[in-house]
This record gives sequence, structure tokens and C-alpha cells, in this order.
Amino acid sequence: MKFILRPSLALWLYLVAIPAAQAIPPIQEARLDNGLRVLLMEAHNVPMVVMRLTVPAGSRLDPEGKGGAASMLAAMLEDHTRRHDYVAWADLLDAQAIRLGAGADRDGLSLSMTVLKEALAEGTRAFAEAALQPGWNRQRFAILKADAISAAKKSLEEPGVRAAQLTARLLYPAHGYGHRTGGDAGSLTRIEMKDLQDLYRRQFRPQGAVLAVSGDVTMQSLLAQIRPLFSSWQGRPEHMLKDVTAPKEIRGKQGRITMPTRQMTIQLSRLGPSRYAKDFFTDLLLNHLLGGGGFSSRLMNEVREKRGLVYGVYSYFQPLATSGPFVITLQTRADQADRALHVVRQVMQQMSAGSINARGLAAAKANLTGSFAHRMDSNAKRVSLISMIGFYGLPLDYLQRWKQHISAVTLAEVKAAARRYLDPEDWLLVRVGPQARQ
Amino acid sequence: MRLCYLLALLLMLPLSSPAATFQAGKLQQTVLPNGVKLIVEEDHSAPVAIVQVWHKVGGRDEIPDKTGLAHVLEHMSFKGSKKLEPGEFSRRIAAMGGNDNAFTATDYTAYFEIIPSEHVDEVLDMEADRFTHLRLAEKDFAKEIRVIMEERRMRTDDDPNSRMFEELSAVALRLSPYRNPVIGWMQDLKRLNIRDVRAFYHKYYVPGSATVVVVGDVNFDHIKQVVKRTFGRLKKRPVPPRFDPIEPEPIGPKRMTARLPAQLPMDVIAMPVPVWHPGKNDAQAAALAVATEILAGNRSAVLNRQIVDKQRKAFSVGAGYDPFSMGIDLWNAYGMLGPKQTPAAFEKAFWAAIAALRDKGPSKAQLAAAKRGMIADEVYAQDSLYLRAREIGTLESVGIGADKRNDWLAAIRRVTASDIKKVLKHWIRRQRSTTGLLQPEKRS
Repeated sequence: MKFILRPSLALWLYLVAIPAAQAIPPIQEARLDNGLRVLLMEAHNVPMVVMRLTVPAGSRLDPEGKGGAASMLAAMLEDHTRRHDYVAWADLLDAQAIRLGAGADRDGLSLSMTVLKEALAEGTRAFAEAALQPGWNRQRFAILKADAISAAKKSLEEPGVRAAQLTARLLYPAHGYGHRTGGDAGSLTRIEMKDLQDLYRRQFRPQGAVLAVSGDVTMQSLLAQIRPLFSSWQGRPEHMLKDVTAPKEIRGKQGRITMPTRQMTIQLSRLGPSRYAKDFFTDLLLNHLLGGGGFSSRLMNEVREKRGLVYGVYSYFQPLATSGPFVITLQTRADQADRALHVVRQVMQQMSAGSINARGLAAAKANLTGSFAHRMDSNAKRVSLISMIGFYGLPLDYLQRWKQHISAVTLAEVKAAARRYLDPEDWLLVRVGPQARQ
Repeated sequence: MRLCYLLALLLMLPLSSPAATFQAGKLQQTVLPNGVKLIVEEDHSAPVAIVQVWHKVGGRDEIPDKTGLAHVLEHMSFKGSKKLEPGEFSRRIAAMGGNDNAFTATDYTAYFEIIPSEHVDEVLDMEADRFTHLRLAEKDFAKEIRVIMEERRMRTDDDPNSRMFEELSAVALRLSPYRNPVIGWMQDLKRLNIRDVRAFYHKYYVPGSATVVVVGDVNFDHIKQVVKRTFGRLKKRPVPPRFDPIEPEPIGPKRMTARLPAQLPMDVIAMPVPVWHPGKNDAQAAALAVATEILAGNRSAVLNRQIVDKQRKAFSVGAGYDPFSMGIDLWNAYGMLGPKQTPAAFEKAFWAAIAALRDKGPSKAQLAAAKRGMIADEVYAQDSLYLRAREIGTLESVGIGADKRNDWLAAIRRVTASDIKKVLKHWIRRQRSTTGLLQPEKRS
């Protein structure tokens, strides 16, 4: 590996941000007779189309003890269909450079496709076939399951995976968010084909589903292609996205995993805002100031720039149908872990006590609003945004109003959010790393 | 991983290709009297631009006990200049609604900013300032070198797969600088000092080694004026020659084992292969690229189908080739092994898959799909300003030239089944290979 990138880029690509002057192309909306919602943002500068179908079949609906079922279902859907075995399917897709993918997160399961404009008809047919004609081949299920179990074992080499597993368990006891989406070796072993078929039958339905599209196509020609393919698809899922119980607040729990590493991974967590939080934009700014703004954030400045204790320290929250996790994470040489943790807690303490100034807030607003155009400058990014807006039922002028929302946040509101969220005593602590020397 | 360099290639597609309607924006370029090269690709679809400053210096230019130096200098470039306080560069970019970062490789170092296009002039001015006026203060170095050691612990020392691959590169290669990690060996990081950084900076950050790349919502004539006013002021200085040794031909298979704390084994097979020299080995390099695509590129990839799906000798496989490197590339294939899968069986299946493709050649459909996929990936890469700029900078910095992108696609389109057989027979051989095994160490 010859290539090294400083840390902030990857994270930054996930940031939500807004356009300065230029008008944002509108999201066009259509609804098929079966209830499937179609959202399109046209972009004609590259002859390609990206689409994503999302249904409320995320890992929160994984059967008890069978974490990873939604992910396994996604893997099965993209692997083969009723009409094509996995070999014929791969040959068919590759012949037209159709890039098909599938995956799950906590709330949703998505099927995605990138295709050349000239192969859009073939691509859309294949896309619908993957979604609506699952093959349920037993031999392929056994192979995909065995490989997923091996991959889950392999992933235990990563301290970050261990930390995320334990954090999910501590933060969401007896809740669908309480395991990693991909599951672990044990839970994957217990999954049977029937579990996937059940999940598919109950949740893979057009009502509540969203087909988000960005690229070189018009709504008229898009609908002409998808209508005949999707119209026989019928029904409403058993669980709608919003049928989710709010998790109970857990305070101050601690967890520890021993691994023979040089560094200690520290992960602090608590419940964060949902997609529908009324102070969502305030929380977003708070996180940007704390540890979501890369090199301009407070944590990066104190822990890395001033003290050289870490390569990276970040905070983020994952807004979901209900309170998602709010996480602060870092790695440092094990003997420095206590010191780094102390600095992080100090920053939280200071911010929750009101140490946030107007200048810092203005800078965070400038960064978020100024970078919005970049946030939307590719088909891949636009489809992610449109999917999110459609799946969570946010207003279709969400992007147009985004900058206004950010600008309207006041210093007093951010301080109140800091008081609400950043009391160090509230946060769970997970440490993964070597045993302390005697 | 390195295959993505190839996939990131973008260019004007030839008229007979399936994506005949697609035309990439044209490159506009100029060279200033002091040697700074400017390359611009205009794209007015969004009010955004990316500015990248590339230096023809990287890990290969370090002397053996000072590995990691190019990357340390990259980190120190954010620690203030004559005009700007430490950290102020990034703060200013953030205030514009932009983001900045940098990367270091064996062959080059690059800095970039993604910004609303109205700020491009100011960013070029800031970049020209840090080109010659870095502070490089001792106290900042003392902190930053500790950050870099944490980076090494995170990326390499605590990741058994990376650590194994690092060691394998050093075992597989005799002279090529790809044998040393860009981040540096830990023992070298411990001994580096600020005087090393200053000397490296003064020697290598010279106008004649720099390429300024701007892609996005800008106007070439205007950018040319701004670059003349900013980078044009830099004094012309001698351009140091680059370390580019001839890698000796392997004389037999090599093997190594890394015993590290891990959950499951990984087996890697690697060997030096030629990179692309335009006009000299087009058929060879393009055939290696297409062969690698057939073996490991997409859903129908041969290695995956044979080794993972049919024979069950690994749970995940891959292979990579980067034709846009200097000297040679370390071609490699890996297998992630599950609890009951052995290195011996994986290696046997791997060499059998290579032999089958080498002896029979790819089918017409396989060859056509690989080529179409590679062309389509050029189109898909147009979706990202970052990838577009990076491809231009990479081609310039490794000595190929960004204006050669059409030649590369033409070479790919000309690849025949017999070219594939020929390169596999010549280059992808057990006798030339080094095999590295990550063997999980039992821990009580």
C-alpha cells in the first residue's frame, strides 16, 4: 500500500452541508399505482444513471439472535435471481457494465445500481429482476453464509469493529439497534433461508419504499421504463419505518475488551437525535464544532494539534427513525489512553458549560453552507441524499431550505444543545486494547 | 486497492466504443518559465472546483534510514508558513466552505482543496505561499512526529494484514522503492529530526517538479493569469533526479511467514511486473491491465468464481495492478482464508486459475466484458472531481503525461486474447513470485 491520506477527507464526505448561489435542481416526484415513490434529480453532464431502491427492512428487524439477517438478504438479492443462476447473472451484468450492489443499515435495506445511459434499459430490467424475482438458491445461501461467517471472524482483527459491537450492545439493550448490521459469527450461524424469505415477504413492499434516481434521464422516460417492471409488485410492509420504539436512555455504562494491540481504542457514546429531531440543525452544528468538522473541530484541535496524542479523533451521530448513536472515537498508544480520555472529557465539560463562542459558530456555519454544492456534485452523492429524504419522509424542498435552517440556528440554541448532550457523565465508555502493565 | 488507480482513468472515448456519445472535457495546459506546469479541465456543471498541487517527490526519494520523510513533510505543510499560523491554512479553507487534505505515495506528494469555485484564486495564492515559505518549526515537528507514529500504529502495526503486506513488499523487491512503506519504518520515524525535513523540503519542493491541476467551474485563461502571478514568482531551481533503479529479475520463488496476532490467515502472491511506458510497451501494459480485470475486476471475475465460489479455497480473493507507477509495479493477488481453508490449497487453486487463463485465453465474451467495464469505469469516474484531478496529477507525476490518456484507452481496446496469454506466460509465474502468509499467532 503506497498511498496515505490524512484523515479528514473520508469523514468529510459524509458531512451534510449547502449551495451558495446556484439554484439546486428540484427533486421530481412520481408515484406508481402500487404506491412506490419515485424521486429523480436530473443531471445531464455525464452519460450515466445511478438509482437506489430502499425498503424498511434494516437490521433492526433481524430476528432475535440472528443479527445480520437483513445484510444476508441483501447479499442474496444481488447474487442471483429466479431466472439467472449466479454465473449467468454475473455474466449478464458485466457484459453491460451494470454495477449492482445491495446492503442494509439499521433502518433500511437498499439495492443500488450504476449504469451507462446507453444501457439504462438493460440495467433497469436487471435491477427490477434482482428486487422482485429472488432466486433463493440453497447452495448459494450456504456459500454466502459461510463466507459471511468467515468475514465476521476476520473483522474481529479490527479494534473499531469490536468497539462498535460492544457499544451497540450497551447502548441499545433489548432494542433492534443493539447489534452491528452485519451481525457476528454466532448470529450469522443461526440464520436460515427461511428467515430471509420471511423478512422479504413481510417488508419488501412498494408502499413505504423509495426509488431514488440521479443522472442523465428524464422522469418521463424513467417512468416508461420502470412502470411495466414494477407494477405487479404489491402491498404494504408489516412494519412501517416509523413503527419503532424509542430506546431507553442508558447512562455511564462501561465496557472493556482486551486485544494485543499497541493502541487503545476509546469509544464514547450516548443516544443522539433522530432524523425528526426538532433541533436537528442545532445538533448538527454542535457536532461540527465538537468533532465532526475535521481539523477545525474542538476535539481535533485539543487532542491532536495541541498535544499530538492521536492521528484522528472524531464525533458523529447517526440520525435514524429514532435516536441513533452519538459517538466520539479515538485511538492512541495504550499508555496515553487515560490522558487522551481526560482531554476529551474536558472538552465536553467546557462545551456543556457554555464555552462556545459566536465566532466559532459562524465559522462552522460558513463551512457547512459553503460546502453544500460539493455535497451534491455527483450522481452517487445525490442519490444518497434523495434516498434519505424520501425514505425518512422529509420535505422535498429539504435541500433548498437546508442553508436557511443552518443559518437560523442561534448561539443560545447551540449552547442549550451542548448542555443537553455533552455532560461526560452521561456517556458510555468502551475501551479496546491491551491489558494494563502490572 | 491499487487497481482503483486504473479504474479512475478518464478520457475521451474512441468513437467505436460502446459509450460513443461520451466526451470528456479537454485538458488545457501551460508551462511557466520556472517550470511549474498548469493543467485545467473545465466543468461548469456545479459551482465547485478542486485545486491540486502535485510534487514529483515521494517515498522513493528518501535515503534508506530516513523512510517516512516525504510523508512527514506533507504533515508539516499544515504547520504554518511565513503568512499563515499553524493550522490556519485549513481554517481558511474551512471558512470558504471548503476542505483541504493531502496524500503521499512512493511516487508523489499532493495537496488539494475542494472549494466553491469563487475562491480558487485565493487558494492558489495560499498554495504558492506554502510552496516556499513553510515554517518547519522544531516544536511543531516534535508534536507532529508523535501524531505520525500514532498513524503508523493505527494503519500498520495494529493491523496484521497491512503489517504482513508491508513485510512482503520488502521481501519481494530487491531495489524498487516500493519495498519501503510510505509512512516509514518505526525505527526511522524515531530518529528523524526537523533538519532532515528542512533539507528535504529545500531540495525537492522546486517549481520544475510541480504540477498545478484545477478541475471544475473555472476559466483556463483566468487561472493561467492567477498561476503566473502566484506560482510564477517562484525562483527557478535545479530539479533533482529521481531514484528509479532497475529491479533485478527474480531467480526463483520466495516465501515468508508473518506470525502476528490475528483471527484468520491471509495469503498473498506478489511479483514485479512492468508499468506503462507510452509508445514503448502499450500492448504489454494494457494486456496486464485487462488480464487483471478478467481475474479480479468485477462480478464475473475468474479468481472469485474459481477459488471462492467453485472450489471453496478462500472466502474472499482479489488482485491488483497499477500500470501508472514508476519503474515496476508489485502485482499481487490475495486470498482470505476461512477456518478450514489452507494456504497450500489456495495457492494450488490460484496457479491453476492462472494456468487455465494462460493456456486457453479469455473467451470473446470475457474479453469484451472486461474492456467494456474498463471503459465504463472511465465514464463513472467522471462523476467525481477528485478522481478526475487525481488521474491527471498521477499521470504527470509518474512521468507518463496527462495528455496520454487517450492512448491508454486505445491500447486497451487493441488487447487480444493472445496478448493476455503472452503476458500471463511471461510475467505471472510461480518462479518469479513471492508468497507471504499471515499466520495467526496463538495467544493464550
